[in-house]
Amino acid sequence: MKCQSCGKREATVMYKENINGAKQEIYLCENCANKMGFMDFSSIFSPMFVSIPEFMEMERKPICKNCGYTLDDYAKTGLFGCEKCYETFEDTLDELFLKLHGKNRHIKLGEKPKVKAKSTLTKNESKTQEIEELKEKIQELIAEEKYEEAAVIRDKIKKIEGK
Amino acid sequence: MWFKEISKDSDVVISSRIRFARSIKGYNFPHILTTEKKKEIISLLEDKLKGTDYKVLKMSDIDDLTKLSLIEKHIISKEFLNESMGAIITNEDNSIVTMVNEEDHLRMQAFEAGFNVDKCYKKLQEFENSIESKIEFSKNDKYGYITACPTNVGSGMRVSVLLHLPALAKVGLLNKLLDQAASIGVSVRGLYGENTSGVGHLYQISNQKTLGMSDKDIISGIKAIITSIIEQERKAREILKKDNIKFEDDVYRAYGILKNARIISEEEAVKLLLTLRLGITMDIIQDVKLEAVTSLLVDIRSYTLKTILKEDIEGREENIKRAEYIRKEI
Repeated sequence: MKCQSCGKREATVMYKENINGAKQEIYLCENCANKMGFMDFSSIFSPMFVSIPEFMEMERKPICKNCGYTLDDYAKTGLFGCEKCYETFEDTLDELFLKLHGKNRHIKLGEKPKVKAKSTLTKNESKTQEIEELKEKIQELIAEEKYEEAAVIRDKIKKIEGK
Repeated sequence: MWFKEISKDSDVVISSRIRFARSIKGYNFPHILTTEKKKEIISLLEDKLKGTDYKVLKMSDIDDLTKLSLIEKHIISKEFLNESMGAIITNEDNSIVTMVNEEDHLRMQAFEAGFNVDKCYKKLQEFENSIESKIEFSKNDKYGYITACPTNVGSGMRVSVLLHLPALAKVGLLNKLLDQAASIGVSVRGLYGENTSGVGHLYQISNQKTLGMSDKDIISGIKAIITSIIEQERKAREILKKDNIKFEDDVYRAYGILKNARIISEEEAVKLLLTLRLGITMDIIQDVKLEAVTSLLVDIRSYTLKTILKEDIEGREENIKRAEYIRKEI
């Protein structure tokens, strides 16, 4: 069996546990176990369970390093604190912007719309343009909550990119 | 002054405006920015604009009456009144006015009478370019221009057109039309308030979305909607004009009161002036100029009147002076 963390090396450590009847087995290689800082295999998962809630807490409450703003502050004021907030809260912005604007990326500033006449493009450029257009379409479909159609287009992009 | 002029489609459109929200790189947004840093921004602008046609006026140096009058003219926001570290950058005729340290570091606005969105855009873009060549704005490829509020991010642009739509209201088509506009991503609000009731059927129509669209697309979208509303308002006016003595009576009564009243409140004056304005655009009244009524609609507002008369009058006294002023002007 391969290690469930790296998926490459052979798992040599197995951890079993039973919490309220829910049984779980996890296999790791020694390397990965070491990398995670677990030298003592007998206590291999106890620190991990402690660290998960902390990690999630951090996920929920990113703090802008530049201005100290949190998403709670945003919820209260409806405003961000500084330009860096756009990086700090990046993960939540896609959804927020989609709700507000139906899109979550701006067009390139100072340039006319990207779509050019097909005749002026090389094969590669037209491929890139096609993919860009399809990506935009996905955003529109997501905004309209047409997820199934969006998935079809996502597969189409994969096909174009793959060839 | 732009707000007293008569221009393209002035029968239906009172004025057009475009606003750009811009952030200056390296500063927290104004609502959490220290007084010192706000001062720094004002000094920076003063320095960069020295020797140009633009003046930087600190809010703390402008008297209250003038500030309140600027709010009545919709040149500055109500919220901006209490910003002690705010400033205004303005040209001679107040057609390009920037609020400094409002919700964003810079709220640049261009105003024109009538339906002149393209002219606003051209003028504002020129102004913006001249500022951006001297001061770096916050922007990136992903989100465009960065603003304090996520509703403005991207282009940072709001295109607004102020419309007078009394005939559509009278024939009962207004609400449906405004609902339709709202449903295609255009925001509609009554001029004197957040709700859509709108004193005298003045409505401000503007784009809601700012991200992922070019300025050009936003403008052409709004223009198409406004053009269609203008056409429909004109059709409704034709219907009213045909064989409608009651409507004609309303117009003449408004004219009569305005020309003869001795005491008149701001609210009554605005209402009657708008009715008179409609009568003039429909050729029912010919001996009053549209310019005069358009000017009066600004001048008789409470604080603007006080700045014109240079008198701090209240209540009854104010209403007497207002009636006097109107009689003199029409």
